[in-house]
Amino acid sequence: MHFGKWTLFLAVFWMLLSGYFKPLMLGFGVLSVVIVLVFLRRMDKADEEPMVISIGHRMLRYVVWLFWQIVLSSVQVTRLIWSPTIKLSPSLEKISVQNTREASRVLYANSITLTPGTMSVDLEDGEITVHALQKESIDDLKSGEMERKITSIWGENK
Amino acid sequence: MFFLDILSGVLLLVGVFFGFTGALGLFRFPDFFTRVHAASVTESIASILILTGLMLQTQFDLNTAKLIFILLFLMITSPTASHALAKSARHGGLLSIPESKKKKENS
Repeated sequence: MHFGKWTLFLAVFWMLLSGYFKPLMLGFGVLSVVIVLVFLRRMDKADEEPMVISIGHRMLRYVVWLFWQIVLSSVQVTRLIWSPTIKLSPSLEKISVQNTREASRVLYANSITLTPGTMSVDLEDGEITVHALQKESIDDLKSGEMERKITSIWGENK
Repeated sequence: MFFLDILSGVLLLVGVFFGFTGALGLFRFPDFFTRVHAASVTESIASILILTGLMLQTQFDLNTAKLIFILLFLMITSPTASHALAKSARHGGLLSIPESKKKKENS
């Protein structure tokens, strides 16, 4: 665990949230940072899966791309909602995520849910069950653009 | 500041429109799973637009940072909530439209 990184992160987070720079308040801040660090240490021992903060330029680029996808698919769903007759082709399919690392799978499933029109219903055995308003969105997901972007954040596949 | 005010007003109005759209979709869509999709319009694009509009109204101080945190947490928690909703519906035995059609054909 990177103690220095976490301390800095938590301290900055506290400062931004409180905005008070009186000694008493700063004291409380230091106390809570220390408590969180102690907890983190104990938790890391318990689950042997160290927490790491990784916000690199790749992650930022992905977030920007994801925001754009959200805008595009929102407009699509909005068009569906406002059209006089509702024309939907809801479909449910399984998408394989065997090639993706475990940690990335959560981000992938979350991104699928975050973009309107597609929703991850289940995640087990390396398969995400996706429910979509239109069949085309599932075909888009299967083409694997989002998956490729996600695997490129944290390096190569396992 | 005049330009920023206009921009923030436009963002807020468009955000409200998307929020309303989500509510409308909640009524117009046929079943549970499609309705969750409609609600996700509200929680993704509407919250992004409204919070960005509010950020432009601040003096770019600590309040801006707090709004960014709210946006960040919403982006993580809201899909988790709809995923939990959909997952429990599915494990509870609720069928989506294509599945229930198939079941009818078989029986």
